[in-house]
Amino acid sequence: MASQNINRREFLKLTAVGVAVAAGTKAVSTKASSEAPKGKHQWAMVIDQSKCTGCEYCTRACQAHNDINPEIEWNKVVPDGTVGDKQVFVPRPCMHCEKAPCVSVCPVKASYYRDDGIVMMDYDRCIGCRYCQIACPYDARSFNWDKFTGKNPMVPEWGTPEVERRPRGVPEKCSFCYQTIDRGLTQGLTPGVDEDATPACVNICPTGARIFGDLNDPESNVSKALRNNSTYRLRESLGTSPRVYYIPVVTPKEA
Amino acid sequence: MLNTEQHRKIVITPWMIWLAFMSIILLSGLVAGILVLWKGLSITNLTDQVPWGLWITIDLSSIALGAGAFSLCAGVYLFGLKRYQPIARTATFIGLICYTMATLSLILDIGRPDRFWHSLVYWNPHSLLWEVTMCVVLYLTVLVFESMPIVANWEWLRKHMPKIAKMMGGVHHYAPILAIVGLGLSSLHQSSLGATYGVIKARPFWFKPELSVLFMLTAIVGGISLTLFVTMLSSRLTKKAKINDGLVERGALFVGYLLIAALYFRGWDALAQTYVYDPGRTEGLLYLTKGPFAFNFWIVEMLFGLLVPMVLLLYKPARTNRFWRMVALLMVAIGVVAYRWDTNLTGQLVMMPYVPGLPITYTSYKPSIIEILSGAAIVAYGLTALSIGIKYLRVVDHTLIEEAHEKVQVESSEPVRI
Repeated sequence: MASQNINRREFLKLTAVGVAVAAGTKAVSTKASSEAPKGKHQWAMVIDQSKCTGCEYCTRACQAHNDINPEIEWNKVVPDGTVGDKQVFVPRPCMHCEKAPCVSVCPVKASYYRDDGIVMMDYDRCIGCRYCQIACPYDARSFNWDKFTGKNPMVPEWGTPEVERRPRGVPEKCSFCYQTIDRGLTQGLTPGVDEDATPACVNICPTGARIFGDLNDPESNVSKALRNNSTYRLRESLGTSPRVYYIPVVTPKEA
Repeated sequence: MLNTEQHRKIVITPWMIWLAFMSIILLSGLVAGILVLWKGLSITNLTDQVPWGLWITIDLSSIALGAGAFSLCAGVYLFGLKRYQPIARTATFIGLICYTMATLSLILDIGRPDRFWHSLVYWNPHSLLWEVTMCVVLYLTVLVFESMPIVANWEWLRKHMPKIAKMMGGVHHYAPILAIVGLGLSSLHQSSLGATYGVIKARPFWFKPELSVLFMLTAIVGGISLTLFVTMLSSRLTKKAKINDGLVERGALFVGYLLIAALYFRGWDALAQTYVYDPGRTEGLLYLTKGPFAFNFWIVEMLFGLLVPMVLLLYKPARTNRFWRMVALLMVAIGVVAYRWDTNLTGQLVMMPYVPGLPITYTSYKPSIIEILSGAAIVAYGLTALSIGIKYLRVVDHTLIEEAHEKVQVESSEPVRI
């Protein structure tokens, strides 16, 4: 029968397969980028906290344009103490991190980087494990515990929906209004300059606290804002390199 | 006369009461499970701040307590501890049940159970969860093969499908290969489950490399303990279970030694890693040692999960006493479950502010009745399957020696013609 030989052969085969799989995995993982690819455009946002009044128009416009469940806020305005007698706010969209933990941990690559740095969700691929929510340092993701049905209370006052509603059972988050950017670019418009190519929260802001644009273009609004102001990013020590920058409120004394 | 009377009335045996009791839990859990699939996760108490709750704990605990299978199979087939083979068989069957329990709880837990297969098709080798999924699926396959010789012990199958029974029994020849593959896959995913938490930078309480080591170590300790406990308990409850107590006692001594390591590492991990104030991590530690989880940590995990059983299992008069040995083994398994629960939740309940200057806050989580009912049903499924295995498949039978292995060696020694 010589089944011992077969055993040995089987064993060697298995070992070979194992090694091949391990090597393959290694090759894939070193190739697969843990960092956003650098495309032609690199979208970023600068938020001037000295101009933000906490009106939450951005939250509402976002909910209308992206057709969001009223229980969910992609763009949250968080009160953050006072400077002098002025209340300070931190509006928080998705940070679109250059090294996004959510992209690294997603088991099915439903979270991924676009070439322009936007961290995107493939809602058709997501299995709803919520590991991205666990991993996100900014609490930027909200899960669809229920399906959003019925009327969106923010429509039409704050805008018209431009994207499909997400199904039940997947997390969702801010996408920098990628649909507006993409459509605007095909029309030859410049995101951050032309309203029709700019995220809804930037357009709606009554005080102009939000600046949007291309980091690759030295003359874009964000590049200029970053050059002319000292800025900070949220939880910078984690090394996620967010693409949302904040211009802090400076006390009159310092100014 | 007595005989005819007995024939007429239905005799209620403890076995039937047991099955009836389990059926009630299973049925209520089935209803709860259907509600979850129908209504979605909104009927749970999970939130965006605590998205992983009771079901994930059941998933983690099942996989941890199923670790007896790979540890004992490796011991028997790779490290030459052949006499523990009957215990490895029990462990393998428990492993199979535990891993199916884990799969069931994940099916409930993911938001899109209809896309479960995505995790096998769309690969992100960067993700710890991808690796865990792959390993669990592959290892579950290994366990199915490893369990085939056990199913081959089913009387009915032997009588009605002798060929299939023989074929399934023959898988035993590949036990050493399966043990190697099982050891590799288990080492990977048992530690990666710890790393699933350990790589999360956003939550400092988790972010440390030793979670992998602790998950691996506690899984081996808990898995072997549960196997030995089930072995002893079944020998008390049914004559179908025939055990060699000396073997169990030696195994228990080994658990005692492992507990020294577990106690050392757990103590070091929890108490020596946070010396100066470390935002988030210190809050987590306070939550664990002085806050709402203090009882879990000090009493369930440290005292009765590690210290007391360690003493009981290393102190010969206690170890040779079957009652105290059983108590000690059960306490170890419970301690491992408590460790998974505490670890999973503490990291989520301590909420790190992303806005500078805001304080660290705490949230809370209590599983909803739906989560509890469906979770209990998953456990009941495990217990039912285990008891059926013990009753019909000779899962706990130390008199059963696998003779097939010897036979092949004789056949293979035939001269090969050139």
